[in-house]
Amino acid sequence: MDGIISTGLIGLSLGTQYALLSLGFTLIFGILGVINFSHGGFYIVGGYAAYSLSHLFGLPFPLAVVFATLFCAALGYAVEYLLVEPHVNDHLATMMITLGVYLIMTTGATAIFGPEPPEFRFPVAGSFRGHGFYVPYSNLIVFVVCTLVIAGVYLLMFRTRFGVALRAMADDRAVASAQGLHPARLFPMAFAVATGLAGLTGALVTPILALDPHVGDSVLAKSFMVVILGGLGSIGGATVAAFLVGIFEAYSSVYLGGSKGALALFVFVLVILVVRPTGLMGRVARRA
Amino acid sequence: MSGRSNYPARPAVLTGLLVASALAALPAAAQDCETKIGALGPMSGGAAAWGIAMKAGAEFVAAAVNESGGLPIGNRKCKVTVLTYDTKYTADGAAAGANYLASQNVKVIIGPVGSPEATGIKPVANRNQQLTFNSAYAKDAIGPQFPLAFHQLSGPVVWAPMLVKAAKERFKIGSVVVVAPNDQGGTDVASVNADAYKANGIKTTEEYYQRGTTNFAPIVTRIMNVRPDAVDTASSPPGDAATMVKQLLEAGFGGVIGRLGGPGTPEIIRAAGGVEKIKGFYWLELVAIDDPKVRTMLTDYQRVMKAPAPDNTLMFTSAAATRMALKAITAAGTDSDAEKIAAALRKLSPEDPYLGKGVWSGQSNFGINQELAFPVGMGLVVDGKHLGVTPLDVSGAK
Repeated sequence: MDGIISTGLIGLSLGTQYALLSLGFTLIFGILGVINFSHGGFYIVGGYAAYSLSHLFGLPFPLAVVFATLFCAALGYAVEYLLVEPHVNDHLATMMITLGVYLIMTTGATAIFGPEPPEFRFPVAGSFRGHGFYVPYSNLIVFVVCTLVIAGVYLLMFRTRFGVALRAMADDRAVASAQGLHPARLFPMAFAVATGLAGLTGALVTPILALDPHVGDSVLAKSFMVVILGGLGSIGGATVAAFLVGIFEAYSSVYLGGSKGALALFVFVLVILVVRPTGLMGRVARRA
Repeated sequence: MSGRSNYPARPAVLTGLLVASALAALPAAAQDCETKIGALGPMSGGAAAWGIAMKAGAEFVAAAVNESGGLPIGNRKCKVTVLTYDTKYTADGAAAGANYLASQNVKVIIGPVGSPEATGIKPVANRNQQLTFNSAYAKDAIGPQFPLAFHQLSGPVVWAPMLVKAAKERFKIGSVVVVAPNDQGGTDVASVNADAYKANGIKTTEEYYQRGTTNFAPIVTRIMNVRPDAVDTASSPPGDAATMVKQLLEAGFGGVIGRLGGPGTPEIIRAAGGVEKIKGFYWLELVAIDDPKVRTMLTDYQRVMKAPAPDNTLMFTSAAATRMALKAITAAGTDSDAEKIAAALRKLSPEDPYLGKGVWSGQSNFGINQELAFPVGMGLVVDGKHLGVTPLDVSGAK
């Protein structure tokens, strides 16, 4: 029973992190129709930015996280505006561009910080211990922040004029443009929101786990899996899928082991996609 | 008259002699050719510390040889250049590295580091006629079917029984979890370590994880459920081991940490928050690092390379392998015929200016006597105190 609770808490913690990452990934696909292969790169840029600000320049960690998030958002805006926007309707070109951006980011991080993980620690240590279970304080803090940010994304997308405009662009770009919305203005902003989320996750999570120039590889793979499971472009689907994957991963790894657990996760995702090829909440195809 | 006529010639002769001796004293100027060797290993990712150390060892020896005038090959003295390639700790990365080096006419490769890489490079290097000097702990790291493959250090079959026995006596270990990645790089070490623990009467559980795992919380939960006295991170990459130890301590693990695999001690100590926060820690050190003669290499590295040496003892075995390989090139009189170099290498007596005398071993474990064995060490931290590294003699290895 104790193990079940502990494992469930690990699953929730994983789920919130996956949700935050996947929301950004699915936002970009849903609104721009771009599969952003540089998403993992913004995760590592967020991590290294927070590390530099807090450990090298002495900024308090919360401020470092905020600035790292804003930096990733600004960088994302620039990447979309300068590189992606001119080719936004060419799926192959945008895939290659974002993949190139990712390679530049990882190579840049290696050149600046070296290939070895820096000593980046979360400022709060220790664990909350209940009857037979424990939760590290760092995970609790990340869980709370991620939950608040996910709620914020929902408010942004469903309760603001900006969100309505973005959803209109996602729904039907031609009609939305005819109504006076400007893709060239909205797309960079959507990209900035998404990359800001990736940067925030990197800034929060890498001090708990590890930071090196290639941690973005696994992040991209996991985000991709979550987004496909949830239905490409679906915000609700990505959130539900993130928690499903996180919780399933935790239970399968704890009860089946690291090898069989990883296999079970992929089988689980495969079965769902066989039953629902468009994902949990996906549509048949994007119309934009 | 004749004396007068000869007089003006004397300064010219003296000047000529001075110039000639000055030129002879300038080693770099005497290097009339270039010989290229390769250094392969992961230069990025969780195992980067190993690849960087492999590269540093080869580069240090090359720089030292160049500083002393170059490598004698036949009647020439050649400048040694090291070409590197990031194998990313993968079989295909190592194979690609061997092919890249072949395209640069490189016949001697120091590395690769790990078992997946060793498996990937052997057939390719064999086809390319390249001599390799890997540091993998794979059960088939070298073998008679790959006569150009050499091993630069002793494997777990040699040192695990000694280290486990000593760790059991020191920490009274009754149960252990050996944790490693679920590929050849992990299982080939962890299974040998596990056998050594079992042979010493220790209740042993093997725990494997998918390489590329970033969050070890589920694995840590499994380990905590077993309630072991010790957790041996075996050959988990240093980055993985550090994250695991960090999460184990957060979970309240109060036992002993073991590290009977590739070097990763500094990363683990950092993850734990410093030596003083560690109750017990035992690890394999690839060389007897506290030996003053061995430590001289660190100061020599700083002097030659104008930078501190990497904090990883794989650099020492890499350097020793490089020295042996360069001696073999000199003895063979060629840098382009790997078979002649290998034949010369087999005849050389293993001796290193820093590591001392070694032996060729590997016949009983690999079926071929191409493993360089120098003394290793066992490091200990007990109750927050670093007790140093005790040398362990492996000269009896067959």
